[in-house]
Formats: sequence, C-alpha cells, structure tokens
Amino acid sequence: MDLENTKAQMRKGILEYCILSVLSRNSCYASDIIKELKEAEVIVVEGTLYPLLTRQKNAGLLSYRWEESQQGPPRKYYELTTDGRSHLADLDKSWKELVESVNRIRTR
Amino acid sequence: MKITVSINLGGYSFNIDEDAYAELKMYLRNLELHFAGEESSSEILADIETRMAELFRAKLTGYKQVINIGDVHETISVLGTPEDISDNEGTPTREKFSSPGYHRMYRDPDHRIIGGVCSGMGAYWNIDPLIVRIIFIALAFGGGLGILVYLILYIVIPEAKTTAQKIEMKGEPVNIHNIKDSVKKEFNTVRKKMKF
Repeated sequence: MDLENTKAQMRKGILEYCILSVLSRNSCYASDIIKELKEAEVIVVEGTLYPLLTRQKNAGLLSYRWEESQQGPPRKYYELTTDGRSHLADLDKSWKELVESVNRIRTR
Repeated sequence: MKITVSINLGGYSFNIDEDAYAELKMYLRNLELHFAGEESSSEILADIETRMAELFRAKLTGYKQVINIGDVHETISVLGTPEDISDNEGTPTREKFSSPGYHRMYRDPDHRIIGGVCSGMGAYWNIDPLIVRIIFIALAFGGGLGILVYLILYIVIPEAKTTAQKIEMKGEPVNIHNIKDSVKKEFNTVRKKMKF
C-alpha cells in the first residue's frame, strides 16, 4: 500500500468539505481561503484549490462576485449558495458520523 | 547583463528575465494541458495566473524590479506542478489527449521554402524534404504538372500552427512530454534568432 496515496485520498474529500466550511462563515477571496487551508495544513500545493472552486461553482454550490480592490485588478469573492449550505449541512452530518465510526473501531 | 521580457499576468505587468520567462511559459502550458479536459479550464487557469501575479508582486521591492528564475521556481513550488496537483487530488496523472500515432499531413511553416508543402511531406514520411523538393522540381519541368500539384496541395493541406499539430505531423503521440520538448525547441530557435 502506498502511504502517500492513501493520505492524498483522505485529504481529497476533506478539502472540498473544508472549502465549504470556510465559506460558510463569510464570503472570501481565493487567497484568504488558501491562507486558512494552509494554516490548518489540509492543502499542500495551492494549485489544488482552483479546480475545486471552479467545480463547486459549476455544481451550483458556490457563486462569486467581482469586487474592486485598492491594490490592483478586481477580485473574485466566493460565497455559498442555498444549495451549498444544504450540501454543507449534509457533509457536517456525515463527517460527524465518520469520526464516530472511526473512533469506535480505534478504541475497541 | 540579461534580456528581460515584459508580460501581462493576471492584469499586472511584470518585467521578467528571459530564462525565467521560458520556465514560466512552459509551466503555464503544462497546466493548460493538465486542465484541458476540464469544464471551464480557462477560468481555472485565469485564477491560477491571478494568484501567480500576487505571489510575484510580493517578491518585488523598490530595489528588486525584475522577476528572476529563482522567483519562478519558488512560485511554482507554492502552486504545484500538474503532477503535484493531481497527487493532491488523489487522481493519478493521466496522459492528456495522447492519441498514439495520430498522424496527419500538415504544411510545416518552420522549415518551408515556399509554402511548407514539401517540408510537411518530408516530416510526415520522415524523409529529407530535399528529396520531395527534387521530385516536385522535376515534375515542374516536365510540363508544369509539379506546379499545379503543388498549388492544389498547398490549398488542401492545412498548416501546422499549434505545437500539438506539429507533433502530429511527425506521427508522435501528443502528450505532455512531447509538447514540453517541442516548446523548448521552439524557444531555443527564437532565442538564437534574437541573438543575431
């Protein structure tokens, strides 16, 4: 078994969940999301975030608006849609179940 | 002394060293290939370019006004190569649209004398274009048939414009490695031309 591959598989699902969680608090600029994900060490290379954001946007979970910036060109601010919120609620539930299940097995 | 190139990245303008520019161009081209199958791939690329511009700007100060190759390497390691990105996504790197042996005849604009018909045929059959040229010239003297055939072929055969087409012309599989090689070759020719 390839340890790195297993870790990558674990992170993959979690990353999508984390992006939605970050955005559930307030709308964010992509670089703010990156900063938070990096601090929490759930993302390794930044390039991973952008395809995920676009996929989630295409799936109707996110939307974005352009906002003027004082330092340069307008920035894209992402926010959750209503669909995104219910999607996140589902993920919250399954995350809790998952943690419980894993803990039950680990502490047996 | 070094030559610098001026680029527009994510709406900002940068002066960048020539070697750093080559590296950056190759990286962006690889990303483009990596996301080629994706819906809204151009949007993903634009987002990445915007982020790249931000990272570059953080590297510039009043004293340092040019992006060098070290900056490009650091930025690439922060953003990740296509391989890193797919590792992180947990999907194995696929060879994008590699159509093995997909072989088409194109006119070769890089080695042309008139319209690139003979050089294209040479590349297609992997023979010296000189042989094709001699046959055409011989036909041209024998009643002008060569000229007519050449004109028809010129109209019928498309020109190899993109890197992928140039690789297809030679019948090599179009994948990331071949494209990387050809881009490198293209860049070196341009650089040689600039020196003279």
